[in-house]
Amino acid sequence: MTLVPKRLLELRDRTAIAGIGYTPFTKDSGVSTLTLACRAVLAALEDAGLTPDDVDGLATHRVGDSAAPSLVAPALGLDVTWHLDQFGGGSVSHAVVGQAALAVAAGVADTVVCYRAINARSEFRMGGTGRGVPVSPEVQYQAPYGLVAPAQHFALYARAHMLRYGTRPEHFGHLAVTQRANAVKNPRALMRTPITLDDYLASRWIAEPFRLLDCCLETDGACAVVVTTAERARALRRPRVLISAAAWGGGTSHLSCDDPTVTGAAALAPRLYAQAGLGPGDIDVAELYDCFTYSVIVQLEDYGFCPKGEGGPYAASGAIGPGGELPVNTHGGFLSEGYVHGLNHVAEAVSQLRGEAGDRQVPGAEVALSTAQPGYILPATSALILRRA
Amino acid sequence: MTLAYPPQPDRDSAPWWARAGRREFAVQECDSCGTLRFPPRAFCAACRREAWHWRRIAPEGTVESWIVNHQPFVPGRRDPYLVVMARLTAVPGCLVHGNWRAARPPKHLEPVVAVFTEVEAEVTLVDWTPADV
Repeated sequence: MTLVPKRLLELRDRTAIAGIGYTPFTKDSGVSTLTLACRAVLAALEDAGLTPDDVDGLATHRVGDSAAPSLVAPALGLDVTWHLDQFGGGSVSHAVVGQAALAVAAGVADTVVCYRAINARSEFRMGGTGRGVPVSPEVQYQAPYGLVAPAQHFALYARAHMLRYGTRPEHFGHLAVTQRANAVKNPRALMRTPITLDDYLASRWIAEPFRLLDCCLETDGACAVVVTTAERARALRRPRVLISAAAWGGGTSHLSCDDPTVTGAAALAPRLYAQAGLGPGDIDVAELYDCFTYSVIVQLEDYGFCPKGEGGPYAASGAIGPGGELPVNTHGGFLSEGYVHGLNHVAEAVSQLRGEAGDRQVPGAEVALSTAQPGYILPATSALILRRA
Repeated sequence: MTLAYPPQPDRDSAPWWARAGRREFAVQECDSCGTLRFPPRAFCAACRREAWHWRRIAPEGTVESWIVNHQPFVPGRRDPYLVVMARLTAVPGCLVHGNWRAARPPKHLEPVVAVFTEVEAEVTLVDWTPADV
């Protein structure tokens, strides 16, 4: 089996993200996810300089917590000939954009709006507290022990990494502090008060080794991006951001896995880079899925920015901060901007590549990596490499 | 003690839970290639065949990781509780979870053995305790 099918290589830079849109991020939107979805879709179209009549495709992912494309299309009077209603959480967030790019490249849709709309604080809390356990065969071997929330699973992986490689709480803390500093410069971010390493270390335990400030926010909000052909995007009003690579899939583990310190991203990364014809050294800015601090640390390793086991020291070296060799989560990420399950990472990457990220702009950013949940709990992930045209 | 989230056996796993209820730790062994697997499912991922039989194994492992839960993840449970992730010695690449049955915290890679705890009628869980206790 070849690493990447030839046809996929031919899709490099054939599609583009022509618009991005957001609703405000809050703790209680006071409206339905259908309303949030419609607002974000319209905002993204406005950004692109397109109208709802230009849309012929809609795509989302959800876990029973949000409005389907088949609801959003009639709500906005959209004539949709292609849609994707992907079941799944953060791990498929970037696959949604990738699937939209495939549809556009295949010519079965011209303009696809990808959205994610959630009331993840006021209605359906991802943190697990006070809600039922998702139905999955593996849950029966976990839930009876009170192991029910993503924070607990990632804390188990994080401690395994600490035990094996000497990763320290301060490494996680440095990441949280850096992302908060980024959020201070982001008017959209929910958390804009700077924090120190001492604040991190003093924050209360959630599931040791995780403290409160290791965990992402739970947010009400929506985000949308418009995918169209690279050619069509040329005529639109925003600077073009090309989709150089989109990959999804990943590892083969089940409940069991050989090594809890390696994610599906390690299997995905070589395919992703090959599609783009680029390597880790070409990435100017990385928006890495940060449901928890540790998920960023492990991705720094699995996407090849540092050797396995050195993600903690790498993060604490300053490399991931402003002016570092790899600025990470420039918007503050899920930890401090808001949690929209993945798509706000894609939108931030687009802002950076357009040179429109304001005070948090990475100077001269030309290539960005944006990633999904790296393939823990279920062994699949997804990611995009985007490039300024 | 009543579990907030009792096991919900499915058609693949019901026989496994029944054996656990008899204090037997069993995993599936592929009839074709002999690969051991857990949790229970129909196909061998190594040779993609269906035929298998139960194989009773020594309920032993090593500590891979653990967490101490403070957030009230479980309704009605306020005290911090420790959950351990153990690597089964007999099944390559297989990690399992369980309550920690010891007065002291686990140590990385220390040998552990399963203990069967009947938490309520018809519900027996596999927990883990240090091998040297």
